[in-house]
Amino acid sequence: MIYLDNAATCKPYLELLDLFNEIEKDYFANAQSYHQLGLLSLEHLKKARKKILTSLNISQTHLAIFLSSATEANNLALKGYALKYQKRGKHIILSNIEHPSVIETCLQLKEEFGFELTFLEVNEQGMINLDDLKKALKKSTILVSIMAVNNETGSINLINEIAALVHQKSLAAFHVDVTQAIGKIHLNYQNIDMFSFSGHKINGLKGSGALVIRKNISLLPLLSGGQQEYGFRSATSSVALASTLAEAVVISLEKMKKNLAHVKTLNNLLHEHLSKRKDIKINSPSNGSPFIFNFSLLNKKASVVVEALSNEQIYVSSFSACQSNNKGFSYVVKALGRTELEAQNTIRVSFDYNSTKEDVLAFLKAFENIIERIKG
Amino acid sequence: MYDRIMVRFGELSTKGKNKKDFINLLRRNIQAKLISQFFHFEIETYYDHLYIVFFEEDPYLMIKELQEVSGIQALSLVTKVNKDINIIKETAFYLIENKKGETFKLIVKRADKSFPLRSEEIIRILAKEILSKTNLRVNVHKPDLPLNIEIRQEGAYLFFETFLGLGGLPLGSSGKVMMMLSGGIDSPVASYLLMKRGVSLEFIHFASPPYTSSGVITKIKDLVTTLLSFQDQIVLHIVPFTKLQEAIYEHADESYAITLMRRMMFRLSEKLAYKRKCLAVASGESLGQVSSQTLDSIKVINEVSNFPILRPLITYDKNDIINLAKRINTYEISIIPYEDCCTIFNPKNPKTKPRISEIMKFEEQFNYQELIAEALLNTEKIILKLEK
Repeated sequence: MIYLDNAATCKPYLELLDLFNEIEKDYFANAQSYHQLGLLSLEHLKKARKKILTSLNISQTHLAIFLSSATEANNLALKGYALKYQKRGKHIILSNIEHPSVIETCLQLKEEFGFELTFLEVNEQGMINLDDLKKALKKSTILVSIMAVNNETGSINLINEIAALVHQKSLAAFHVDVTQAIGKIHLNYQNIDMFSFSGHKINGLKGSGALVIRKNISLLPLLSGGQQEYGFRSATSSVALASTLAEAVVISLEKMKKNLAHVKTLNNLLHEHLSKRKDIKINSPSNGSPFIFNFSLLNKKASVVVEALSNEQIYVSSFSACQSNNKGFSYVVKALGRTELEAQNTIRVSFDYNSTKEDVLAFLKAFENIIERIKG
Repeated sequence: MYDRIMVRFGELSTKGKNKKDFINLLRRNIQAKLISQFFHFEIETYYDHLYIVFFEEDPYLMIKELQEVSGIQALSLVTKVNKDINIIKETAFYLIENKKGETFKLIVKRADKSFPLRSEEIIRILAKEILSKTNLRVNVHKPDLPLNIEIRQEGAYLFFETFLGLGGLPLGSSGKVMMMLSGGIDSPVASYLLMKRGVSLEFIHFASPPYTSSGVITKIKDLVTTLLSFQDQIVLHIVPFTKLQEAIYEHADESYAITLMRRMMFRLSEKLAYKRKCLAVASGESLGQVSSQTLDSIKVINEVSNFPILRPLITYDKNDIINLAKRINTYEISIIPYEDCCTIFNPKNPKTKPRISEIMKFEEQFNYQELIAEALLNTEKIILKLEK
C-alpha cells in the first residue's frame, strides 16, 4: 500500500495509540470529579493544555480549548466570537479559498444572523492581497479569518503580515485555520488571536482538535452544560484524546525542521517529473507547503486515474465533477485562476513524515502507466 | 382483542386449477418474510383466505411487513369467534365499545349460506344491542366505526380496518428473470414491479474499473439489499466489462459507443440468463429517456437476443419512476453520484437512430465473442440474504 493522501488524514503514531490506551485505562475518571482519581485525570488534562501552549510559545497569552475536530474549532471560533461580540459590528472578512467549515459557518452567520461578509480573492499563488484586506477592513469588522495553508493546494498566506495589518488598522480579532500548517511549516502563533487545528492531520487521533484563543477573548458556547473547557464547550473531557493531541503537537514541532526538509525533497522529485508533462498543469504554487502537491489533468478524467491508482493500492485524492458534492469543480483551484475544466480534474498528492522516495517513484510509475493505458 | 390477520388474495382467486400452488407459494413467502422478525405465529390456509394467528406479537408491525409481500390484495386485523349469534353479538358490542367514535355501521357478509340467520337479520340483532346499550348513532355513509362481520364455514370474523396489500402475484409464481442493474434510479423500480408481479430476480451488473468507481459496487449491493424486502434472497452477478468497453472505444465511432455497449450487455445478460435458468432478461429502460432508449435504438439493441426482454418501465414518465423509487426506498441510494457504466465515455452526439449496417461494420473489427466469453468466465457471483 502506498498512502499519499495525508492532507485528508494520516496514520497515527503508534505511541499515541498506546498513550490513549494507557490514559483511558488508568485515568478514566471524570476530570471534574472531586475524588483522587478525578483529580489525577484533571492533572493530565492540565498537562496536555500546558504542553500545547508552551510548545507554541504562547503559554502566557493564550488558552487551549479541547474539541472534537478542526471543523468544530472553526465553528466555535467564528460563531462563538461573532455572536458574542455582534454589538460591536457585524462584518466578517475571509478569503475565498477557506475550508468549507469556515465558508459554510460564515454563510450561516450571514443568512441566519444577518452578518455581512467580504470574500477576499487570492492570486495565482493562493495568497490574499494585503491592499485588498486593508480596503475591506472597516469599523464594523469584528473578525478576519484567513487560513495559513490551503488544504487542496498547499498555498501559504503571510500570516504575520496579515495579523499586523488587522491589529494596526482595526479592532477585529484575527482567526487562522492552521490545520494544514501546525507542526509542518514555521508559524508565529503569538500574533494570532484564535487558531484551529485537529490531531489527525499531524499523526494524532481522529476525534481530537483544539481552538486556541487569546486569554481576554470570550465566546458564546455552541454546547452548553457542565461548563467544561472554560465554559466554552461543555461535555465530559476526553483526557486521553487531549493527551494524544498535545503529544502530537510536541512531536511534530520537534521534528518539523527535519520533516520539512525530507518532504521538500519528495515534493521536488514529483515536481521534476510532472512538470515535464504537457498533459498536466500544476496547481500548487512553488512557494507553498511541500506537504501538498496538486495538479490538473488536461486530457483524462482525474476520478478514473485515481480509481485506477486505488486498484493498485496507491491512494491519492481527486476532485472530479462526478464525485463532487455541489459545484462540480474545485472552487479553490478555480480561485487560483484555472479554467473550470481544469478545476474539474484535479489530483492531490500529499505527504507526511513517513512518506518515502520509493512511494513517490512508485506513484509516478503507476501514474504514467495508467495515463498511457486508459482511454477516454 | 384481535387474534389473527386476515389475508385476502385478490387476483389469485381467479387462477382456477393453479390456485392451490399459488396459495402454497404465498404461504411460503409469508412464512419467509415473517420468520425474520417474529416468533409466535401460525398460518392457517383456507380456500380463499389465509390467516396469520399471532401470539404476543405486534400485529401492526406484522401488517407492515406483509404489505411488502406480493400476491396479497388486502389485510385486516380480525377477531375469530364461534358461529353463535349470541357470541357474535357480545363480541361486536365489545369491539365497538372499546373503540372511539360517535357513529357506526354494520357490514355483514354471509359467505356460509348454511348459517340460519340472513344478513339483514344479523344486522338487526347486533344494531339493536349496540343502540340500546350505547349512545352511538348509525351512519351508513361515513361511519366512525365500520364493523365488518364475515360468517364463514370455519367461524365468524369481526374487524374494522382493511389495509391495502402490494397486489400482484406471489413471488416465484411467474418464474425467474435476469435483471440488469446499473445503479441508477430506474432499474430498482423495474425490479420492484417485476417482483410484485410474481417474478423472482437475479441481478447482473457491469463493472468497468477504473472507469467505474468501486463505490458503485457498494451502491449496487445497497440497492439489492433494499430489494430484499420483496425477495428474501437475491443472487447478484458482477461482470467485468472493462475490456469490452475499451475495445468498443477503440474500434467504433464515438457516436455508436453506447449502442454497441448495450448490445454487448444484452449478449452477456442472455448468456448468463440461460446459464442460470432464467426465462427472460429485464431492464429499466423507459422509452425516449436517453438516446439508447429510442425505439430505433431499442430495435437494433434488441436484435442480439432471442430471449424475451422485459421492460416494465417502458411507458413510465421519469417523475412516476422517481415517486416509486422513493416509495421503495431506493431513490436515496440511486442518486449517490459515482461514475457508473452509463456515465463514462459520454459521447457528445450519441446516435438516436443507429443503423444496423454501421453497427455490423464496427463489430466485425474486433473479436467481441472472445471478450464476452472471458467476461462470463470472470463473473463474480454474490448471494445476498435478508438478515435475521
